[in-house]
Amino acid sequence: MANEKVDVVIIGAGCSGSVFASVLAKAGKKVVLIESGPDWQLTDLVSSEMWGRRIRPAGAPILLEGKNPMGYAGQAGWGVGGAALHYFANHPRYLVNDYKIKSEHNRALDWPISYQDVAPFYDRVAWDVGMSGDAKAEEIWRPAGQAYPMPPMKSFPNGEVWLKGFKELGIRTAPAPVAMNSTEFKGRPACIYDGWCHVGCPTGALANPVVTYLGEARKANAEVRAMSTVTRILTNQAGTRATGVEYYDEKKQRQVQEANVVIVAAWSGQNPRLLLNSATEKHPKGLGNSSGLLGKYMTSHTVAGIAALFDEDLQNHLGTIGAQFMSYDRYDKTAYKDQFGSTYITVGFAQKTHDFAASRPELYGAPLADFMKRAARGFTRITLFGEELPNIENRVELSSEKDAYGMPLGRLVHSYDDTAAALWRANGVEGLRIAKAAGAKEAWTGNVIPTSHLHGGTIMGTGAGNSVVNSYGQCHELPNLYVAGPSTFPTEGASNPTYTILAVALRGAEQLAASWGTVAG
Amino acid sequence: MENLERRTFMKGAGLGLLAFTVGSAKVLMTPGQARAQAVPFRLLNGNEGAVIEALGETLVPGARQAGIAHFIDHQISVPAEEALLQARILNVRPPFANFYRAAIGAVDRGAEKVFNRKFAQLTAAEQYDFVGRMRQNTIEGWTGPTGGFIYTLLRTDAVDVVYGTMEGYAALGIPYQAHIVPDKRW
Repeated sequence: MANEKVDVVIIGAGCSGSVFASVLAKAGKKVVLIESGPDWQLTDLVSSEMWGRRIRPAGAPILLEGKNPMGYAGQAGWGVGGAALHYFANHPRYLVNDYKIKSEHNRALDWPISYQDVAPFYDRVAWDVGMSGDAKAEEIWRPAGQAYPMPPMKSFPNGEVWLKGFKELGIRTAPAPVAMNSTEFKGRPACIYDGWCHVGCPTGALANPVVTYLGEARKANAEVRAMSTVTRILTNQAGTRATGVEYYDEKKQRQVQEANVVIVAAWSGQNPRLLLNSATEKHPKGLGNSSGLLGKYMTSHTVAGIAALFDEDLQNHLGTIGAQFMSYDRYDKTAYKDQFGSTYITVGFAQKTHDFAASRPELYGAPLADFMKRAARGFTRITLFGEELPNIENRVELSSEKDAYGMPLGRLVHSYDDTAAALWRANGVEGLRIAKAAGAKEAWTGNVIPTSHLHGGTIMGTGAGNSVVNSYGQCHELPNLYVAGPSTFPTEGASNPTYTILAVALRGAEQLAASWGTVAG
Repeated sequence: MENLERRTFMKGAGLGLLAFTVGSAKVLMTPGQARAQAVPFRLLNGNEGAVIEALGETLVPGARQAGIAHFIDHQISVPAEEALLQARILNVRPPFANFYRAAIGAVDRGAEKVFNRKFAQLTAAEQYDFVGRMRQNTIEGWTGPTGGFIYTLLRTDAVDVVYGTMEGYAALGIPYQAHIVPDKRW
């Protein structure tokens, strides 16, 4: 079934798709977002670990392989808001050194833009969505910018207890920048610190897309078609332009939505899967893939989680799942002797009973029950995110298995190389030093490398020979086809990526709006 | 924006209520209540329920009484996208019943290799020893889903029913602090 042609069709109503929708709908364009999951309302966001799994994907559209398979389903989203409906709202920036690793170290890849190109958009996003923090305090690590609209969030004993350790080791900290309300902001209430952020914040205190860009897009008449799965991006016969998308609606009926501009914003696993599955005679390897790099250079942060027990009652049920404090003091690419890559440190989060149990996966039976009682009082954590350098072998490709719509499943192959693994081990050692200096009674870290965040697959670059899209997300080979989200990141830094996703998407969306006549044709 | 009062929502999800069928009526109750009232399983047979209860109790004391078998039975009977199971996070391919049946079979076969009896018939000490070996994938001739993966998934299921509810938080002396109860559409 064909629908009336629109100006813009966006695949995915998550973080980056919502930014494009907001900017373009406000510019008067007719925008349709096609979302594979439900149209969640805030009242759906139940405070429960188990019920919170409902806003993650079910099933296996992406097969996970490699030495370090990506923890895909726990990280991905399903439904409006996408992964940012359940994200922790940590909003550190990528720093100056993230954008030019190749130039400065002759390793990895450069972005085709610099920190200065993105910086104004960081500042604007902070005021668009509402951020709390102390921008001035961050200036020991980054160029000055605007102040955040709200002061830092409250801190609690489960975060404060670590500060002694950082101070003793000379590691500087600052209040963590988060997209949460420390005070009322734009009619949304201040946070009440109950720590259920990771299953979706129903109060609106956390800046998920539903209460920010997607909400604005809807006010500007953008339409969301939920429970609808896009299977192909359609192109003209000459292979020079995208013409729309094929999708299956909530009744599993095939539909076609024509549009002047197509934006692919379905996260780093699905974006390359869709572009690969949209191959034609003119684009036999998939759309935008003349470089052969579509689906390549998938990266994911390593996570050195340091858990500790202290004697005192740390009130670990209080706070947010986002961090209370952070440090960029190990962010330099060569911060550790003999290691390479950035590290971002986050400190102090509200803990749930599942967190206690997950921290000691080897315990079961009576020893687990005993540990749970002790953890209820004195358990707390810090996290050191480590950078993985892009490796062409880490990739998304199409499987021979197909989903319910006949679309090949994605196959995400991911393995950490020696550099990433060594940085992860160094971060574990560093974290345990901090715990000891803080006076922890016990401290430990895991022996399997967890993955966090997913980037790459449709990387940006200077031309069709070395990348899939330009710095605005515009496909080199089809100018009215855009890709949004972390799939466009050539490198991942070590910072939580959502703030940069929003800033880069805002930059791309405004470029598209400004050049609409040329791009949309 | 709706003005949500702090901690005014104290029922539903936190209590772990699910819709069980009693007679011809659907009744909201916890899996533990369903077990106490001997609500029939939807999909599991008696031995499958017994293995899940025994395995759950070995992993997390209290899981049997908290109704782990009824919880899993309920969750594998609903469409995968409605399920609350950790299986979806660990990328288990739906239908989830297939995994649980394969896991139960693997555990029983493993127990028979080691002890010449099915898992539910072992003593508590034998079950504890077996689970430790299963976790480390050291049982020779093991077939089916790996022991380590079964351990990880069933342990989380057991944590769900024992520690993931408001009762579980209360037992540890931790304020649950729910923002919101489940909407009826769930």
